[in-house]
Amino acid sequence: MRRNLSAILLLVLLLLALLGPGAFGLNDGAQAPPFSKPSWLDGAIASTIVLDAMANGNSNSATAPLAWEHSAPIRVSVSGRLESGEIRWATPSGDFMLANTPGEVDLDARDIPFKRSLGISPFDSAPNILFPTRGEYALSLTGTGEVTMRIEGGRWGLLGTDHRGRDIAALFVRGIRVSLIVGIAATFIATLLGLSFGLLSGYAGGLTDALIMRAVDVLLSIPTLPILMVVTGIWGKGLWNLVVILSVFSWMGTARTVRAMTLSLRDAPWVEGLRALGARRNYILFRHLVPEALPLLLANVALGVPGAILSEAGLAFLGLSDPRVPSWGRMLHEAHTFGAFTNGAWWMILPPGLGICLICLIFMDIGRKLEERADPRLAQAARSGALKEAEV
Amino acid sequence: MIALLKRVGASVLVLGVVLVLNFFLFRIMPGDPLTSIVDPRFSPEAKAQLAAQWGLDRPMSEQFAVYIREMLSFRFGLSMMTGAPVWDELKTRVPNTVALLLPALILSTALGLSLGVKAALARGSIVERVVLLSGAVSFSFPSFFVQLILLLCFGYVWQVFPLRGTTSIPPPEGPLAILDYVWHIAMPLFSLVIMGFGGLALYIRNLMVKSLGEDYVLMARARGLPHGRVVWNHAFRSILPPVLTIFLLSLPGVVSGAVITETVFSLNGAGRFLLEATNSHDYPAAGAAFFLLALLTVVCNLLADLCYVIVDPRVRREGSRG
Repeated sequence: MRRNLSAILLLVLLLLALLGPGAFGLNDGAQAPPFSKPSWLDGAIASTIVLDAMANGNSNSATAPLAWEHSAPIRVSVSGRLESGEIRWATPSGDFMLANTPGEVDLDARDIPFKRSLGISPFDSAPNILFPTRGEYALSLTGTGEVTMRIEGGRWGLLGTDHRGRDIAALFVRGIRVSLIVGIAATFIATLLGLSFGLLSGYAGGLTDALIMRAVDVLLSIPTLPILMVVTGIWGKGLWNLVVILSVFSWMGTARTVRAMTLSLRDAPWVEGLRALGARRNYILFRHLVPEALPLLLANVALGVPGAILSEAGLAFLGLSDPRVPSWGRMLHEAHTFGAFTNGAWWMILPPGLGICLICLIFMDIGRKLEERADPRLAQAARSGALKEAEV
Repeated sequence: MIALLKRVGASVLVLGVVLVLNFFLFRIMPGDPLTSIVDPRFSPEAKAQLAAQWGLDRPMSEQFAVYIREMLSFRFGLSMMTGAPVWDELKTRVPNTVALLLPALILSTALGLSLGVKAALARGSIVERVVLLSGAVSFSFPSFFVQLILLLCFGYVWQVFPLRGTTSIPPPEGPLAILDYVWHIAMPLFSLVIMGFGGLALYIRNLMVKSLGEDYVLMARARGLPHGRVVWNHAFRSILPPVLTIFLLSLPGVVSGAVITETVFSLNGAGRFLLEATNSHDYPAAGAAFFLLALLTVVCNLLADLCYVIVDPRVRREGSRG
């Protein structure tokens, strides 16, 4: 079980990515007030409370009591119809007159006229005035009419909501796709590039070799993120643009490994034998050298995925990703830009961040296992503990 | 001496590639560089005038010559957003980047070195566990996530450090200004150090474990040399070349990390300038910031390369990296 933990986790993530948030009844449109806490947190009411008060000709007043045990809600609205009389809101520390003119009543705590009628500045929060403490509240109607008060709490869903009131859980599930696609596709292409350049460099030798290796050296000593920023800024922020750019700037390590391997195999006796038997260069390369390198390459792919995922997340965090595609990096970008800090909204930061860490750890673990399988000496060293992480 | 010249030559080559890349990235790309500042309603004459202002109407070869001259003279041309020389804006920001990067690099290297060696000496101790953990963290945790968490804890919950910027508003006077600067830069610096030392420490630990098991170390011990000398002059000395190599390879990543750090903590550095310039399609400004970041990497690279020549006697003698 423990041996295959990362494989199982990867399968779970793949399944989640394939099904998408829709399969769990999650919707990534706006759901609830912005910055709602996860519903399992204390301190605010879980869902919307509706208070109804109706008075017709028979009784000239109606009261809807409410025992309030929480901090102030996020949104309060009052709607209904008043034929005569007035609507009052009784709190433990005083009464408020909400409406006393006949007609349609449509008040929202965000409306400035409503705030003025309560006697507060437009920049103050009306719910804090309407819900000052815990205690007994009552919505009362004297006269005739009907009125409904909606109190929207600060808690919603499994992981709360973001600055636009979208469900974080839905965005989280949606974001898996981007990380997996970018991570795997970019590394796959980069490995193909690295394989071809490495083979070419190692087997051809001479000027080609010198040129390719110089290019590798140069590319390795240029900071990648600024280039990626410039290129995405000019080319556009699409997902596949990102994949192409990431793979163009991450093939160098593989090329070096493959070249070293080709160099050591090129003059091995069995390859020399093949040449003596009249085998063509392409035959030797693709029927013998590539299969030889394949297990190590597979491990290389898995070990390269975290790097690609981190690069993608970094770019998205800088705002250089498609704004229509929710990804984990994008979620962190929005948390950083749209006030998760002024609202203390840690639930906007932890899920995507931990998601990135988890997916990277999974791929590193799988990569290391593949590497051990490709090179049993490593596994032996790991078991004896002498060289545990030597190849990191 | 030949080895030295070779290193300098390689650095110049990298800079040349950066310069050429920088030029062609902005000019061969789809779309006119002017599109970001030109309104479709502009008359052709107005457009032509703007093109002339940035020299975009000249032949490519002439543009390239002008571009190289501007870059090498550190003037970088005019910004497309403000119309002012790019360098005027950049020169206030580069010191911030350097003030963040250099201490971060020095501190994380020192920490990585000492912890890595300590971990190799005390197998199974807490130090070793810390090194193994921090190594794994530095490879799999996005740096900006760690920084966001730090910001949330120290900036929002406990309010020990400021949430953003390099100076308080209004900026304090006299010696307090330096303290204020340090206070603002402390958290970004701390985050860079804790994200930076892990990889190096892990690498050094692995090399040291191997090197401590070698025969020459046993021999040194058998000769009765003091412990410190065996560890540092015999075991550690022999792993220095590969350590320097990994250090060299990590430099571009450090610069990339600075870009993100500046964004997270809203520091006015060259990296954030690059981001702003890219977002507003201000190509001359973005190109200049990119060039400066690359230059910073190349200079650090060259310095580390010089150390390589000192550290590895084989390189000194043969002029090749073996």
